[in-house]
Amino acid sequence: MEGGLVNDMRTIQRTDQMEDMKISAKDVNVYYADNHAIKDVNVEIEDKTVTAFIGPSGCGKSTFLRCLNRMNDTIDICRVEGDILLDNEDIYDARIDPVQLRAKVGMVFQKPNPFPKSIYDNVAYGPRIHGLANTKAELDEIVETSLRRGAIWDEVKDRLDAPGTGLSGGQQQRLCIARAVATAPEVLLMDEPCSALDPIATAQVEELIDELRQNFSVVIVTHSMQQAARVSQNTAFFHLGELVEYGETGQIFTTPQDSRTESYITGRIG
Amino acid sequence: MNEQHIASAFDRDLEAIQGILMKMGGLVETAILDSAKSLGDRDVELADQVRKGDKAIDALEEQVNEEATRVIALRAPTASDLRTVMTVIKISANLERCGDYAKNLAKRTTVLAEAPVVEGADVSIKRMAREVQLMLKDALDAYIQRDDQLAEQVILRDEDVDQLYNSIFRELLTHMMEDPSNITACMHLHFIAKNMERMGDHVTSIAEQVVYLVTGQMPDDSRPKKDRTPYVTEAN
Repeated sequence: MEGGLVNDMRTIQRTDQMEDMKISAKDVNVYYADNHAIKDVNVEIEDKTVTAFIGPSGCGKSTFLRCLNRMNDTIDICRVEGDILLDNEDIYDARIDPVQLRAKVGMVFQKPNPFPKSIYDNVAYGPRIHGLANTKAELDEIVETSLRRGAIWDEVKDRLDAPGTGLSGGQQQRLCIARAVATAPEVLLMDEPCSALDPIATAQVEELIDELRQNFSVVIVTHSMQQAARVSQNTAFFHLGELVEYGETGQIFTTPQDSRTESYITGRIG
Repeated sequence: MNEQHIASAFDRDLEAIQGILMKMGGLVETAILDSAKSLGDRDVELADQVRKGDKAIDALEEQVNEEATRVIALRAPTASDLRTVMTVIKISANLERCGDYAKNLAKRTTVLAEAPVVEGADVSIKRMAREVQLMLKDALDAYIQRDDQLAEQVILRDEDVDQLYNSIFRELLTHMMEDPSNITACMHLHFIAKNMERMGDHVTSIAEQVVYLVTGQMPDDSRPKKDRTPYVTEAN
């Protein structure tokens, strides 16, 4: 798809830093009891890149996303097969501590879910339990940096003691993103991070995602194809548990190779 | 992509734009044939009709652009829908240019009606017009049927038009050298032939858009260029 690549400036900007694959999934199959939810998915996720997973409801995109930080471990009937490598390390290896893994692979959910604590404590929670700060000053700095990364610092710096739940929906979501980046993760998983937000808050979160890309690998599940087109460099289309097509976002949205992708992104019944 | 959109209004919008484009194509085909006929018959009245008719073609182009802009703004088309909208805009520009050339031909008809007939030239130009019109018809058919094979054939046929132009060029040159009093008429006829040749290029461009629309890739530019005008001059 050389035509598509050449025309995407975002691709050109990052060519100097795209050698490595951050996450590499090989022959991944997921079962919920007898239900085969993910079928032989192979995907390479680039470092410092936003990768979008799109597809109709129930296509497996969220299930697959949750495999990437072993969130599916919490579901008893869920069985994950295949290899998922983070920096060439198998995350399902017995020696891997899922809690440590989730500090490295952060997650932001569909509905903003701040802890019923102060704004400060929401962000400080992760660094505290992972022992990332030795002094109050260090913790203060982590909180400030994270809130700045979450693009919410200016709005909350004067009321860090106020409850996080008192913020607006958009602010809460950015607080959750700040909380997720506070543990210095390498990958940020976002499951429909904007579906509960208004267009302005959505635009702010999208702008934030683009900034986060400089430091993290971001994987976002979204129902909004326009959002995938706006924020991602690579897009994966899932359908009925299969990864139908994976490629550069510009190419997927202009010249998809698979007719199922075409039908989905053009809003046809397929 | 024959399936319908979930939003049926989107289908209606796209069909409406393509309808306008086809109407425009029909008017341009007629303008090409009528302008050539007006030249052949020295029919000033028909020429006048062609000149006036160009306004309608221009208006349709504007309409295509407006509707296409609306669809982009309101529906954010992707993939083949996006290519449809993009190609509609480009093709309408090509058609508009063809309309202008036909109008220019008609203008020259009114001048040529006063000049002596240059033997042979009229017939050759009529043949050229017929060929360009047939190419246009096929290019538009290829568009409607999303037939990239037919479009590829149209692209190859531009070579014939170029050859016709080259032979007319040679013919006119001979006439001018034989009798300088032919120069005025021959110059006009040469512009007409050159404009016809340019129309062929625009039709080729339309056919290329069809290939892009269907395949997502522009066709390879492997078509041999047959415009050897400078060599023709040397030979004489």
